[in-house]
Amino acid sequence: MNKSVLNKKPEFASAGEPVLQVKGLNVAFNTPRGQAKILEGVSFNLFPREILALVGETGSGKSVTAKSILNLIPGHSRETKGQVILGGKDLLSMSPKNLQEIRGKRISMVFQNPQSSINPVFTLGEQIFRLIRLYLSDDIKAVMQKNHCSQKQAIESIAREKLNEVGLTDTRRMLKLYAGQVSGGMAQRYRIALALLSSPEILIADEATSALDVTVQAHILKLMRELCGNKQTAIMFITHDLGIAAQICDRIAVMYAGRIVEIADTKTIFKNPLHPYTRGLLKAVPKLGKNEPLSFVPGMIPDLTNPPPGCRFHRRCDKAMKICSEQKPDNMKLEDNHAVSCFLYNHKK
Amino acid sequence: MNESLIKLEQVNTWFPNEKRVLGKPASWIKAVSDVSLNIIQGECLGLVGESGCGKSTLGRAILRLAPLSSGEIQFMGHDIGKLSAKGLKPFRAKMQMVFQDPKASLNPKMTIFKILSEALHLNSRVAKENYLEQSVKLLDLVDLRPEHIYRYPHEFSGGQQQRICIARALATDSRFIVFDEATSALDVSVQAQVINLMKNLQDKLKLTYLFISHDLSIMEHVCSRVAVMYAGQIIEVQDAGSLFNAPRHPYTRALKKAVPVADPESGKELGILKGEVPKLSDPPSGCHFHPRCDYKEEICSKKSPVVCKTGKKSWVRCHRHEQLWKQEVLKT
Repeated sequence: MNKSVLNKKPEFASAGEPVLQVKGLNVAFNTPRGQAKILEGVSFNLFPREILALVGETGSGKSVTAKSILNLIPGHSRETKGQVILGGKDLLSMSPKNLQEIRGKRISMVFQNPQSSINPVFTLGEQIFRLIRLYLSDDIKAVMQKNHCSQKQAIESIAREKLNEVGLTDTRRMLKLYAGQVSGGMAQRYRIALALLSSPEILIADEATSALDVTVQAHILKLMRELCGNKQTAIMFITHDLGIAAQICDRIAVMYAGRIVEIADTKTIFKNPLHPYTRGLLKAVPKLGKNEPLSFVPGMIPDLTNPPPGCRFHRRCDKAMKICSEQKPDNMKLEDNHAVSCFLYNHKK
Repeated sequence: MNESLIKLEQVNTWFPNEKRVLGKPASWIKAVSDVSLNIIQGECLGLVGESGCGKSTLGRAILRLAPLSSGEIQFMGHDIGKLSAKGLKPFRAKMQMVFQDPKASLNPKMTIFKILSEALHLNSRVAKENYLEQSVKLLDLVDLRPEHIYRYPHEFSGGQQQRICIARALATDSRFIVFDEATSALDVSVQAQVINLMKNLQDKLKLTYLFISHDLSIMEHVCSRVAVMYAGQIIEVQDAGSLFNAPRHPYTRALKKAVPVADPESGKELGILKGEVPKLSDPPSGCHFHPRCDYKEEICSKKSPVVCKTGKKSWVRCHRHEQLWKQEVLKT
């Protein structure tokens, strides 16, 4: 592993046009207790070749954001407003047929539990072969011509090559196995290989390493970092682990109760966190080699069917002012790569 | 104060593999093999390892919840390894467990009062008419309010549910509590609250903990000593501070290198440990870690390493630890 890939400097500032723009995303669910406003005005850009981390507590809306991008949340009892723009087109207003062209092809997703997102009744081989036939018909022809082999052999050799790319060995045997017969780390690497078959522009990893051991997690994180460097894929990494975010991500967006409260590049977030929630979150992280009592953010995430008025964090905030319970803070851009939504910084605007 | 509360001597827990030949198991899954360990009165011992290394089974075996194939378990000076279910009863109340998923370990049809009363029933010091008073006291200990007592588990958040589980574990006047991944399902902020509570209770009530987790970074905050487990064996026991600053066993080093650091300027690169966790039904010969070890020699695959003391309360199981340690010292 060469150092330059792992410690890649954030290049997003000069990367130009974002590949994905999320503008004012609002998602609400109709529940028996009333409408729950799960997302409220979530906006961010994803640039090519960057890894953006979406961090926050359980129930802060990280996964809903990711799933809304591909319209994966069942439609009944849900209301979505806002725009998700990929290549000039709004994904949210697209027909299901057109959207299907984008799912898996231009935007891929990897979920938390690898074993349950692989079909258990087909072998790993059958599943990857099907996708290769779907996405890589040109490659199959090229390999057939080059090696003078049958289509079946060509597909298998492509499959094995793709599995090698994600660090899997003994691929001939693996293709004959079922999801339940491989370990979690192998299954997750296989899922990533599937997600990358179509060379997507964007990979969304929803807690992709949370169910894995640290040693296996290290493998997967390294793989993601390399992908981002080699294949020009932009990665949106949803995690609750700030250690992972610090280790591999270029930028971090902190979510709280359905809003992005702060977004900046990784170094800035850790060095100069502005939002009181970000500060609290960072202090609660246990660190190796430092034995201090852990601090925490008092209280818990609000009930979103009846969110607090004004800033949704003000009831847990130690710096709350009068205005916080009256008005909603805007998302303010302080510097080039640092935006925060908090009244404490209003005067700097 | 250095008296051990629990003493394990060559504890083995083997489960029969499903394939049976003529009624006898064809092979065994050696979830815990040859573990000798002391848990000292008033300490919090951490137990780390990858999933499937047998750490939960060991925790359960100490409480006699998992079968004991061979070996000896001493609890407060009594040998509880061979006791029958009836003979164990007086000891059961003294040792309790808190599980990973609080929601699944609280009966959804019982109020908190009923849940706590069930546990108080085991506590001979509390008379039946004092259950209510005692339950309120317990809730107060874990920072919950008295009015919570007639609520049901689903009305609480994950962190609060875990507090109720801790209160229930305390209700029997226990001396020893096993926390099996008790904070793994919680958010960092909630996790910090529960851990601070655990530490306060330990000081206040002079409890002894076994804290099982796969999360290394939390160990140092919670534990005084840490045992590292790999493929059914404990390979290193160290003071929590020096385990991470100066790990002795190559596996502990690899674990430390794989933990992401929440500091973008640390310049740390994630270390990759090659290979897969061995199958417990067929562990490698000699040292269980040798196929993945960077420092292996011929002897490692032939002979199982013995316990080498590295300090008063710490030891390591590695053939080459002395050489490796010297190299480390020379480097710095």
